[in-house]
Amino acid sequence: MLSEQLEPAHGIYSQKEAPRNVSARPKVEIRQLNAFYGKKQALYDIDLAIKPNQVTAIIGPSGCGKSTLIRCINRMHELVPDAKVSGHVFLDGEDVYSESRDPTEVRQRIGMVFQKPNPFPNMSISDNVVAGLKLSGERNKDRLGEVAKNTLQRVNLWDEVKDDLKRSGASLSGGQQQRLCIARALAIEPEVVLMDEPCSALDPTATAKIEQLISELKALFTVVIVTHNMQQASRVADYTAFMYLGKLIEYNETATIFENPKEQLTERYITGKFG
Amino acid sequence: MPRLMDMGLDKLNSLLLEMATISENAVDASIETYSKGGKGEQVRDWSRRLQTLHRQVGDLSMEMIARYQPVASDLRFLKACLEISYGFYRFGRYALDIVEVMDIFGDLAKCDRKSVVETARNTQEMIRMSVDALARRDVALARRIRKMDDLVDESYRQHLRTVIGQKKDVRCALSAGLILRYLERISDHATYIGESVDYIVTGVEPNQ
Repeated sequence: MLSEQLEPAHGIYSQKEAPRNVSARPKVEIRQLNAFYGKKQALYDIDLAIKPNQVTAIIGPSGCGKSTLIRCINRMHELVPDAKVSGHVFLDGEDVYSESRDPTEVRQRIGMVFQKPNPFPNMSISDNVVAGLKLSGERNKDRLGEVAKNTLQRVNLWDEVKDDLKRSGASLSGGQQQRLCIARALAIEPEVVLMDEPCSALDPTATAKIEQLISELKALFTVVIVTHNMQQASRVADYTAFMYLGKLIEYNETATIFENPKEQLTERYITGKFG
Repeated sequence: MPRLMDMGLDKLNSLLLEMATISENAVDASIETYSKGGKGEQVRDWSRRLQTLHRQVGDLSMEMIARYQPVASDLRFLKACLEISYGFYRFGRYALDIVEVMDIFGDLAKCDRKSVVETARNTQEMIRMSVDALARRDVALARRIRKMDDLVDESYRQHLRTVIGQKKDVRCALSAGLILRYLERISDHATYIGESVDYIVTGVEPNQ
């Protein structure tokens, strides 16, 4: 089977290079999660265990709750007026919704990359990367420079921008801007990276670079990606969750979801027989 | 609403059913040639046609994968198509091999051909079952093919056991042995076709 030949899991890291304990407890565990926008319910009793150092893709039709789900993971959902959440999201076994939990600390540990690249237009490339670090109080220029370089190298952007780090982040191409935004999210050293359709505005070449990067990142981070592109999910994800009308319909290894899904609804969606 | 991919899937299905008919005819004709004599000229044409169709199935399957990136039942069908098409192609090739036995050994009218013809009946039945299972996506029928494979295997082994140690007519024994070997291989491919039908419908790979 192709997936066996490609193991470890569509990535470039072998088990030796990137030890992973996929049988360990989930990095993120969602239990009985419900989400609302005012009176409208967007998520229904979601249970989902996201494995550490793996890429998990969330797929489903528009409006099914994919983006809402990942926004609940790092408590961004509650920033929307009238939005509320019930249920639990555990990060390493601790509930991010417990009363004593600081949402800012949660968002530092669970970073987010958005659909449209959104570098700060008035900041240079290097300042964009370390913007989060500066906000958290880091002032040491050597340290900031070192983090900027290391993180740009990690997202495979360093060689393309190293000669002009002072130019505006907005001057980069779309694909470069998105890698810059990923670098910005990684600079604060999160444990989990959430990506909300990170390639939807990019051309195939830029998309391929981001997908390659995602495969590399899982050695260090747990990655959750929302995507409308099922081929992208099948290329980059170790696990895939299919959502429909706010419910989690099926969650399994990606190869199983795309070759032999258990639920008829999943089968109909991924083969384009919906509607 | 039909999907863009459906036209290609329908075409593949038609190709497979055409191969099914031709390969069934080819094996029937080859056995007829063995039991009643003749040159089996049409078997050669059918064998060539099956090879051409097998290539077409392969090309179309690859095109479908490249253009539509099929998943789930569509992907399983394409994967199974390649196995099934190869099975039908092999039916034709072994039918030709059977006819060529007559070319090599000449008139076999004086040989006792009863056991070979009986085994051939089982093999022909297996082919028919594999074709029906494919056309109707009938998993229960597909699973019955494997049981018949044991009968054909046993006939082949029994013939070898009988030949060893007996001073039989070498020409008759060898020709029967070769034909039984081809029938045994045909039965295996009929079994694989049955397993592929099972896989299309259930998603379970053979021996899982």
